[in-house]
Amino acid sequence: MSLPHDSARGHVTGESEFIDDRPVMRHELFADVFYSTRAHARIKHLDFEEVLKTPGVIAVFTGHDFSHNLWGAIFKDQPILATDEVNHAGEGIALIVAESREIAQRAKRKVVIEYTDLEGILSIDAAKRAKSFIIPARKIERGNVETALAASPLRLNSTIKIQGHDHFYLESQASVAYPLEDGQIEVHSSSQHPTETQHVVAHALGLQDKDVVCIVKRMGGGFGGKESQAAPFAAMAALAALKLRRPVRLCLTKDDDMIMTGKRNPFENEYAVGFDSDGRIHALDVRLFSDAGAYADLSTSIMERAMLHTDNAYFIPHMRVVGQVCRTHNHSHTAFRGFGGPKGVATVEKVIEEIAHFLNKDPMDVRRLNLYAEEGGKDITHYGQKVENNTLGRLLSELEASCNYRQRRSEVQAWNSGNESTIRGISLTPVKFGISFTTRFLNQGNAFVIIHTDGTLQISTGATEMGQGVNARIAELVTSELGLPRQTARVMPTRTDKNANTSPTAASSGTDLNGAAALLAVRKIKKRLSELALKLIDIPPEKWASKTAGLGSEPEVDLEDPYLNENDPNAGADWVSGTATYFGICFEGGEAFHPSHPKKRITFGSLVLEAYLNRISLSDYAFYKIPGIEFNKLTGQGNAFLYFTQGAACTEVALDRDTGEVKVLRTDILMDLGRPVNEALDLGQISGAYIQGLGWCTTENLVYDQQGLLLTHAPSTYKIPNIQDTPRTFNINLLKNDENYANVRGTKAVGEPPLLLAVSAWTAINDALRHLPHYRKSYPMVRIPATAENILRAIAPQRFESWE
Amino acid sequence: MRDRVVFYLNGVRTEAGPEDASLMLAEYLRTRRGLTGTKIVCAEGDCGACTVLRLFPHAPGTDGQNFLPVNSCITLVAQLDGSSLVTVDALQDKGQLHETQRAMVDCHGSQCGFCTPGFVMALTGMVEEKLSRSDATVDIKEAKNCLTGNLCRCTGYLPIIDAALSIDLSKCRPLKERFYSNAQETALAEVFGQSALVEDKTFSFFAPTTLEEALAYLARYPDTRILGSGTDLSVVHNKRKATLSRLLGLHLIPSLYQIREDSGLVHVGARVTHAEFRHFLKTHVPEFASYLDVFASPQIKNMGTVVGNIATASPIGDTPPAFLALDAIIGVRGPTGEREIPISKFFLAYRKTALAPGELITYVKFPIPEKATDLRFYKSSNRKDLDISAVNLAVRVTWKNEARLEIRDIAVAAGGVAPVPYRFFRTEELLRQRYDIEAAVKELQSEVTPISDLRASAGYRRVILENLFRKFFREVVP
Repeated sequence: MSLPHDSARGHVTGESEFIDDRPVMRHELFADVFYSTRAHARIKHLDFEEVLKTPGVIAVFTGHDFSHNLWGAIFKDQPILATDEVNHAGEGIALIVAESREIAQRAKRKVVIEYTDLEGILSIDAAKRAKSFIIPARKIERGNVETALAASPLRLNSTIKIQGHDHFYLESQASVAYPLEDGQIEVHSSSQHPTETQHVVAHALGLQDKDVVCIVKRMGGGFGGKESQAAPFAAMAALAALKLRRPVRLCLTKDDDMIMTGKRNPFENEYAVGFDSDGRIHALDVRLFSDAGAYADLSTSIMERAMLHTDNAYFIPHMRVVGQVCRTHNHSHTAFRGFGGPKGVATVEKVIEEIAHFLNKDPMDVRRLNLYAEEGGKDITHYGQKVENNTLGRLLSELEASCNYRQRRSEVQAWNSGNESTIRGISLTPVKFGISFTTRFLNQGNAFVIIHTDGTLQISTGATEMGQGVNARIAELVTSELGLPRQTARVMPTRTDKNANTSPTAASSGTDLNGAAALLAVRKIKKRLSELALKLIDIPPEKWASKTAGLGSEPEVDLEDPYLNENDPNAGADWVSGTATYFGICFEGGEAFHPSHPKKRITFGSLVLEAYLNRISLSDYAFYKIPGIEFNKLTGQGNAFLYFTQGAACTEVALDRDTGEVKVLRTDILMDLGRPVNEALDLGQISGAYIQGLGWCTTENLVYDQQGLLLTHAPSTYKIPNIQDTPRTFNINLLKNDENYANVRGTKAVGEPPLLLAVSAWTAINDALRHLPHYRKSYPMVRIPATAENILRAIAPQRFESWE
Repeated sequence: MRDRVVFYLNGVRTEAGPEDASLMLAEYLRTRRGLTGTKIVCAEGDCGACTVLRLFPHAPGTDGQNFLPVNSCITLVAQLDGSSLVTVDALQDKGQLHETQRAMVDCHGSQCGFCTPGFVMALTGMVEEKLSRSDATVDIKEAKNCLTGNLCRCTGYLPIIDAALSIDLSKCRPLKERFYSNAQETALAEVFGQSALVEDKTFSFFAPTTLEEALAYLARYPDTRILGSGTDLSVVHNKRKATLSRLLGLHLIPSLYQIREDSGLVHVGARVTHAEFRHFLKTHVPEFASYLDVFASPQIKNMGTVVGNIATASPIGDTPPAFLALDAIIGVRGPTGEREIPISKFFLAYRKTALAPGELITYVKFPIPEKATDLRFYKSSNRKDLDISAVNLAVRVTWKNEARLEIRDIAVAAGGVAPVPYRFFRTEELLRQRYDIEAAVKELQSEVTPISDLRASAGYRRVILENLFRKFFREVVP
């Protein structure tokens, strides 16, 4: 049975501390952000007189107060607070600092601002017309797409529209900054990327990195929304703290968070596909257009991942993907679980569905026909990477059988030919998700392990805990290496003064990078302890240092080989072997022993005490970098990923013919996660990601006003899935796979991939619709999300025409 | 006259002056009492992260007997006068987790942990209710229903459902044994019998024990807001769109808690909650009871009053169309005495009612439809549960005879299609004249003027209105 999350007890008792749960310090102040309600405008007049007159208001800061007002994860193009010009509704303009949160919030309403409106670009179409792009279009290409398209027996052209998606982490952006002596700042932030937060704070305030510590205990959810976006809010709190010499807390309300922060990028993609009458794809020409919003943020990287996932699970001999990132005057979009992946995958899954519809085939057969396979060299992606450890075929076969797909498909058809008040659809889609940051230098991690003399451990890494259980997994990896129960270790809050130059906890890589580094660190100590244990076997216990150290009467135990050779296979090259062994010493059940002296066991506690008394280091640091990643961004070719996480889902839906409301009747998921460290945590990631993806595909509807100001900015209007929206039958299983040699302990990353499985709900909705007579010759064009209104429009388009 | 609000917090008597009484409970717990287990996410009662348990023992009615889940982010401390509260911080007993907490840990029901305290409290509320009914097990439907008001973004709910189903009720003791003593009962009875005026320069909360005092206060201070359950008013306050400065609480007036049937007429007092109303309707008008299942969350239903949902006069409120179709009558008291307003004359314009200054609603009453009546309520929203309707529709029909070809009496009402909850008198008249659905649909559409907003387009509202209207006749006419 899997151990629970390491904070589970604190979660259920309410003791787990989040930023805003921190006790308010004496003299602490509260900040709130005043933001734009215009898409694109020059600030003509800005007046804080009434704000400053409000009792309890201490100060107002603007972008001019920063030493450097520009930040950005890739390009430094985004003002922390807009000064002369606003580029999206919801863009911060001023920071109001007051003695209480309510005073700051109410005072904010007294800001007087006048704008001179400029022309705003609020859609991808408008950006295309204005040629408003972040960087020139990029391309990944294999074969000769034009020729192959022309030579294909059949061709289809189509489009797909994908809207944004709010993270809806329960804890909104939050930070509190404490001014320390000598101009230093300690900032606690709900951030997935403490290192970047530290750097942005230091740069913005004109400090050096050594003057700023960023600490992340935990987040109330992140999902990518706190990868880049936590930093500017931390910088605002830090600015006020530094200037006022008082602690300053900035915790956004849910409404302001939703209005200000960026979402999953909307995409509008176009494609031409050439195929034959069997459904085999000969050529695919795809143009992806994303809405980056006003600033670059991570949108170019997100586009890159979209381009790298437009193949999903399919071998497409001639393929061209062009990605164009549009600059608009919407809020600046950002990372969201799956990054670009879901947008690429949804696109190619629509291609498959349309081909099947055109040929009147079961889409499952078309999927099968095009699946990556070893035979015939059909396992090379369009960017030139070989799909190794490919379990897609097994996943599809096993899931198809276990969920009874074929029989249920004919039952669905029978249902739809009856006169029921609902129409049903069923769809089974695979996912192949590349694991690694596509930016090579981010694939590094470091960790610090301390063993105390009572035999307990503290582990520090660059990973941040946002619910995914990275800390629990790391603790399990490290303690199992020493044959100890997990509760002997505590993973400490992430601090930039312990683990510096870290990567964001993102790209599903938290455990891969930081778990591997932590394992390497503990193995360094383990090696020393092993040699010590071996030597202690020959020393009578009464002469051990714990009995004699103060006297200095016995010689100290010297280690001959206290350092771990980087080339030692036990250092980590052979991850799958599980635990490493040095000097033949075994660590089991809280004891160390040599198999040749099974009776001479030393408890772990005495061993570490002996180590201390013999002046052997009980702490160590390790660094890990993912090997073999060689993706050239300029050519769009190379090994972009260390390995792939694969899975498949089958979803059956019912659509209400009268209202368009959708009900998920049943979902079956099968995933290959290698050998999980903690299966329950992985299963929780799957159910959570699928339901989050289901929201993206169905009810989560971002509605904006004419100025791009978000109107659905609270759960009363923005509907994430509720417990009643979960599938009536929901089965999740893992495929047995012991052969992922690439990653730490043979595990596979799980954070993002299952979100993409929810695409099966969207294709199932389309599957239901295509049974309607008016789709005999065409394929439904329901965008993501398929809200009840969008679905009813697709069910009865002519009925809407009469009213519009 | 008391000058402080009195309640019990985790078993300890607590008094609140104006400075505390004017805060939302969640804020009070977190900032004034250091009880940060209770979280604030949406501040509008839509996510349940702030759920606490509340016992209101001296209100006449069945719901007063249990600790019920409520949203502390939209409940003023003032409203808790006379209540006993339990928060997540006190739930474990001498280091021993409550059974609901154990279940959540063992079934991996928490990930980030931010929503978890709310889920734990909602589950504990369900346990309390089940213990009071001596139920032995939890079924999946009950589990989902009790958690309809809680949002989780991490787990996909599956592990939480597992947790709910793994709760061993035989290991649970009612919270009353720990948090509600006889002495507390006596003390709260005293509180309930005594009017309170809690005020300072910026805030005033008056809670009289009689209607007469309430009316006098209203007459003296015309700017007074009547605080029903505050589920609307608190949101306006939290979003800083208004300040709650002068409030009248009716919670100490026993007569307003009445719910009864009297020779075919259901009488619902102004303080009756949706939870209690639903309970009552199960035997009296079951169709209405099941409609209330997809209305609001358990937390809201435990606080929100039936009359409040009418008084707030939202064009997309869920109960007004039902009451319109049931020919409800609204009982009003004011400076000049009592009067009754038929609900079809109550909604005058967008958020404007027929209530005169100084008047307050004391009850709503409606006739129980006769046996042969076809009565249906429909709600359509983007998300099925805990979502505000795009359109809702109530239809009540009695036929001239079994053949169902001629209509004797009909009432049709809808929300989301006009600035007010709308009764379709013209369509009804047409159908009484001749049972012609096609003609009726035309008339139906000609009566309304839906708007496009963030929830639905005008066209969509028209299409569902018509579809649901047709659906009624499809369902009732075989």
